[in-house]
Amino acid sequence: MIVGKQKSFEEIWDMVRGYKKVLVFGCNTCVAICHEGGSKEAEILGSLLRMKAKQANGDMEIDTGGIERQCEHEYLDQATEAVEGADVILSLACGAGVQFLGEKFPHKTVLPGLNTTFIGVVDAPGEFSERCQMCGDCILHLTGGICPITRCSKSLMNGPCGGSNNGSCEINPDVPCAWHMIHERLEAQGRGHLIDIFIPPKNWITSRAGGPRKQKREDLAT
Amino acid sequence: MSEYKSGSNLEKVLKSGHFAFTGECGPPEGADVEHLKEKAAHLKGCVDAVNVTDNQTAVARMSSWAASLILLQEGLEPNFQMVCRDRNRLAMQSDILGVYSHGVRNMLCLSGDHQRFGDHPEAKNVFDLDSMQLIYTVKTMRDEGKFLSGKEIKVHPKFFIGAACNPFAEPFALRVRRLAKKIAVGADFIQTQCIYNMDKFREFMKQVVDLGLHEKCYILAGITPMKSLGMARYMASKVPGMDVPDSLIERLKGAGKGKVAEEGIRLALEQIEELKEMKGVSGIHLMAIEWEHRVPEIAERAGMLPRPQLS
Amino acid sequence: MQHLKTLLIEVDIDPDRLEMYNLSAAMGPKWAEICTEFTERIKKLGPSPIWWADRDRKTKE
Repeated sequence: MIVGKQKSFEEIWDMVRGYKKVLVFGCNTCVAICHEGGSKEAEILGSLLRMKAKQANGDMEIDTGGIERQCEHEYLDQATEAVEGADVILSLACGAGVQFLGEKFPHKTVLPGLNTTFIGVVDAPGEFSERCQMCGDCILHLTGGICPITRCSKSLMNGPCGGSNNGSCEINPDVPCAWHMIHERLEAQGRGHLIDIFIPPKNWITSRAGGPRKQKREDLAT
Repeated sequence: MSEYKSGSNLEKVLKSGHFAFTGECGPPEGADVEHLKEKAAHLKGCVDAVNVTDNQTAVARMSSWAASLILLQEGLEPNFQMVCRDRNRLAMQSDILGVYSHGVRNMLCLSGDHQRFGDHPEAKNVFDLDSMQLIYTVKTMRDEGKFLSGKEIKVHPKFFIGAACNPFAEPFALRVRRLAKKIAVGADFIQTQCIYNMDKFREFMKQVVDLGLHEKCYILAGITPMKSLGMARYMASKVPGMDVPDSLIERLKGAGKGKVAEEGIRLALEQIEELKEMKGVSGIHLMAIEWEHRVPEIAERAGMLPRPQLS
Repeated sequence: MQHLKTLLIEVDIDPDRLEMYNLSAAMGPKWAEICTEFTERIKKLGPSPIWWADRDRKTKE
């Protein structure tokens, strides 16, 4: 899922302070799972903004709301009334949702309330870590199901490097060395020889480096 | 000439069976050419080739290629280093052709320290290729005369290709396999991380020799003399992949105040003596960083002088 | 609770103004005690910044 983190209250206040009617709008798919951007978080943020606005002696009306997700037309349709009634929308969706909302209502100012951070997993309640870099050409079958592009700090495809330190990455003892993990996983599965196979230079054209990506299923087109 | 891959001095020395001796010279954090020339002057005549580092520890310095050219002008043979952190394959192939056109003949292909260690931690890193893929690239350009795109190169670069090896990083079991992989992909010579744990290094070399790797690739053992107790402690605890035995620190302590540097050199000389006789080791890579003025003395005491002059 | 108190600090509101107590309907005396204590606490803290802001707005109108 997509993980994000709410911007600091200071930064958010700085963005919305000049407006009269603010809508704090949540998204209830990925960012709700990480407790950063759902309708509930929108209400909490709305409350805080009201408290701040009152003290700042400005005249601000703050509404809150949310939809299932902000990356699909059918859900954004439901937002029309709330959005039209506001001067500015503080969207708590991930970067994709914020932009899609802005595309749907291009005459409205849409602001990002979250910093979208990574595609990851829920290690434990409230703990998330990155797993996928969306390179568009998955090699997990060669590396025992552990992604070196994402989990190796240097994205080495023929690792580990000389800085691998007792299972940790050289940058931080809390970051596991991806190639150490790959080696252990493959050995345990009796596929240790895979690590001796040279993986040639990667074709990055399928990644973001190749330009903004699109995908279409002809059989699903209306 | 066709019997050599590059015709470099280092290659000739190693191929003729001499025990090689290489040094290191880091480019300045500025455009201080005079200081670089001063450092290089100490090394002249004492070593077969000099490593020129590439934004070492992810700190911005004069580029490795520029410093390599300066060294060439000063009459030394550079070991041009390139890391994978700062350049994509286009820039890499371009720089490879560039330095070759100026007479550089040895090249080391390294991953590079992560930029978070350095003075520009906010920078975006590249890592389009990793060190093994870079070795493969240089080999392809040299032996097949082709770019990675498959296009032919008119007048292809003929480098003596080097790589690094760290016998001390865990897991130990992987280290020899990784060395074997680098050799299979095209490394002609290897320089190891500096050695303090001789027991472990002996063990490592035994595995290397068992696999016959020393016959496919020249292995130069890395030596860095300890200048001070502070340096020893720092290396032991703060540098990833470094293995400094407690016995070494004890020995330096025992030397007494003001005598640690001399003891450090003595230790290094003992290591060199043993390494000269160790099966599979073809030379020494001396990393006396910012201590270049002591290299002539070390070379002399280690019996490395005079260096072979081969045509 | 800790989290909510941290949020209140962001908007310059003393976190002591918010507290959570857990008790059953049968704990009458305890309830009275809590009310008294908390009223004292709030009296000591005085009006909140929001109260002052609201008052300032009213005097302006």
